[in-house]
Amino acid sequence: MSNTGSHKTREIFVEGPIGPAFIAESIAKHSTRTDIGGHEIFLGQVRADATDIGSIGAIEYTAYRDMANEQMIVIREEAFARWPITCLHVYHSLGTIQAGELCFFVFASAPHRREARESVAFVTDEVKKRLPIFGKEILSEGGHQWKRNS
Amino acid sequence: MEVLLFGSIAEKAGASILRVEAGSMEQLRTELLMRIPELKEMRYAIAVDKQVVHADRELKGTEEIAVLPPFAGG
Repeated sequence: MSNTGSHKTREIFVEGPIGPAFIAESIAKHSTRTDIGGHEIFLGQVRADATDIGSIGAIEYTAYRDMANEQMIVIREEAFARWPITCLHVYHSLGTIQAGELCFFVFASAPHRREARESVAFVTDEVKKRLPIFGKEILSEGGHQWKRNS
Repeated sequence: MEVLLFGSIAEKAGASILRVEAGSMEQLRTELLMRIPELKEMRYAIAVDKQVVHADRELKGTEEIAVLPPFAGG
């Protein structure tokens, strides 16, 4: 949990959706860290967008895992360099995630709320920009298209 | 050298790995366009040893090459 400044590659990918129990357990694990005064969490959920060719029923995520995990080390180091945060956890789903299910979990803890908040906003944006993760949007009516972050 | 393909590019190529001979990024780009003509209309980046590379440079053949469509995490 307290891997401040660690260079070790950690696996950010989990197979399937991120369950609420997993999130609850992650929060519970921090009760021993009494230097923490605030947690901030971002949860990404698959949205049933209506597109020109149909509505999105699910997203099938794939990734260039080794590069993504390496890029995550860089983003993590940038976050720790900019904010005095206690810890930072990032998870992203692989495989098919149905609309309404969670696919992305960013969780920072810090002595004070401001740094937890700002670091989560930063990490969320950078993961979307810099990690080679790909999303095949499966349409409810059949067929698919490829997701791209704007 | 082996070239890893992902997402929409793997779909177009009908494969997730291509075997390509190229001594430079320029040659690699030319070779890829011949093998996957649809790339001409696609946005993509090439990663060499897990770093996106834009400029031309020599390739030894031992690098890990990947062709990456637009990122879509989150």
